[in-house]
Amino acid sequence: MTALLDVENLTLQFRTDEGLITAVDNVSFSLDKSEVMGLVGESGSGKSVTAKALMHLNARNAVYSPESKITLHTETGPVDVLSLKTPKELNIVRGGAVSMIFQEPMASFAPAISIGNQMVEQLQLHGDYTKEQAKRWSIEMLDRVGISDAGKRFNQYAFELSGGMRQRAMIAMALSTQPKLLIADEPTTALDVTIQAQVIDLMKDLVSEFQMGIVFITHDLGVVAQTADKVNVMYLGRMIETGPVRDVIRQPKHPYTQGLIAALPKLDDIDAPLTPVPGDIPSPLERPSGCVFHTRCRQVVGDVCKQVDPKDRDLDGSHRVACHIYTEEMA
Amino acid sequence: MLNFARFVATRAVFAMLTLVIVSLVVFSLMEFVPGDCAERYLAFKNTQGSGISVADIEAERVRLGLDRPFLERWSKWIVNAFQGEFGESCILRVNIAQLMGDKFWISLGLCLASLALAYAIALPVGIIAAASQNAVLNNSLRLFSYLGLALPNFLLALMIMLFSTVYFGDTLTGLFSAEYRDADWSWGRMKDLLSNAWLPIFILGWSATAFALQTVRALMSDEIGKLYVTAASARGVHGRRLLWNYPARHALGPIINSLGFDLNRIFNELPIVALILTLTEAGALLIEALARSNDQQLAGAIIFLLTASIVSLNFLTDVMLAVLDPRVRKSIVR
Repeated sequence: MTALLDVENLTLQFRTDEGLITAVDNVSFSLDKSEVMGLVGESGSGKSVTAKALMHLNARNAVYSPESKITLHTETGPVDVLSLKTPKELNIVRGGAVSMIFQEPMASFAPAISIGNQMVEQLQLHGDYTKEQAKRWSIEMLDRVGISDAGKRFNQYAFELSGGMRQRAMIAMALSTQPKLLIADEPTTALDVTIQAQVIDLMKDLVSEFQMGIVFITHDLGVVAQTADKVNVMYLGRMIETGPVRDVIRQPKHPYTQGLIAALPKLDDIDAPLTPVPGDIPSPLERPSGCVFHTRCRQVVGDVCKQVDPKDRDLDGSHRVACHIYTEEMA
Repeated sequence: MLNFARFVATRAVFAMLTLVIVSLVVFSLMEFVPGDCAERYLAFKNTQGSGISVADIEAERVRLGLDRPFLERWSKWIVNAFQGEFGESCILRVNIAQLMGDKFWISLGLCLASLALAYAIALPVGIIAAASQNAVLNNSLRLFSYLGLALPNFLLALMIMLFSTVYFGDTLTGLFSAEYRDADWSWGRMKDLLSNAWLPIFILGWSATAFALQTVRALMSDEIGKLYVTAASARGVHGRRLLWNYPARHALGPIINSLGFDLNRIFNELPIVALILTLTEAGALLIEALARSNDQQLAGAIIFLLTASIVSLNFLTDVMLAVLDPRVRKSIVR
């Protein structure tokens, strides 16, 4: 396994009229080639912001802390993503070596530009294609992701395709530049369950074929269990638990992760009541002191939760958790 | 391509149908005005001292064809109207086509020129302002927009005239210099018109620009925030290419859609400006005919011409929209 991506101490704040809002707080992780990482959390947990940071794509009011560092390992050497400034420099993380798929395939295609033209445009921005070559390659990619009659679809517009078709086309477009890293921001959330399964299978196939790393953002632990090798659970901008997907899902350590798993509906016992994680995610303007989760936590061990930010603790080599329950045990 | 031609043809037929329906409404309204042309004419004679009888009125009615059934008169009116022939004015007793002369076309020209001026400024400036985060640029544009929207046209016209009179000794009124006023069309007259027309165009364009700027900026800000723009920049599309091909292109549809409405608004503002600048144009004539002399023939003619212009413009914008937006094109052209 060779390293593809290193994110170190990523801290990101947004400058707003109400002051600085922390969206991502000291997040570190790494990803190898051909590895799929799930990034899990509720809306507002900072998972999408983290993903956009990988493409240096956050809004202009985003402020990165000086310690933040994102390194992408490409064939031509490591790229310090956050130091990229000009569009030309950014090209490599925007559609070049990194591609992104969005939650709503309908909204992520420009409605009045044909799918083919958008694909050709991207190819010509990132490679030495003539229009004719770009077109041929685009149609081949559309064909590859299982779109029938790809030559005809090439000339069509997003509104003429079905939801599953659109997401396939989005995947085809994202992969057409043969990126090393694919960021998938809730790519299946807007799809029917049956289409979801097809799209997930397709992505799995393509990962092994293209040897890409994938950052898979979702709030759905079920989808993570099917797709990811490892998982990061985020809450209010903090990474609270991380580890191999089996460990985290079978033996969740953090009370929040436990809550998320308990909240999944169980098909084998349809009479069981749903057990949501109590309370709502706090406003980022009122970040709780100490452990960010203590306001909703059922297993508060004492004042330490309200006062001290829990350290990231290594449980068994790869499974890490930031929670005072385990700090206490160790101490 | 054949489909497109069919679409254009259908739209043209619809436009004609709209016009026919409008003409029915206009004609009916003309009918609803109490008293008809015959009574009005003879009542006018009455004030001059000559007595009139019911028989006189009846005779006049027959002469004007007012005794014919409604549908017959309407169909005659509409057939003539499509040929630019509107009969005689009730009050002035002259042929309406002659009375108006070029006035309507000059008015329409002024309005279209103001509309063109407004969007020639508002499109680039609005798009750039929406895309830029420059607070100074945005605030000064906002100030200009508020000024343009709040400052009445006639006040602006008066201010410019006052300024010009005091400093240049020229009141800047009228559309033609004295020697060209009643002359036939020629290059000289055209040039003379253009050298005078800039002021009404500027004044009418002023508030239209402010209005258009607000529209363009709001539509652009809307589009820029959409996911497809983020997605395009995530694919490496950037700079001017991103701005014009993505949000600007998609904001254009609603703008084109509102052109007909804009033209109507400008035409409504024209009479006041025309009054102050003593322009000879059709809007003032319309107000005169509607409000003062109750001249339904003349008013009907002008309203019909105005509606015809707006319907034609809407037809054009429909076609433009279909060319620009595949969603429109593909939904109708099938």
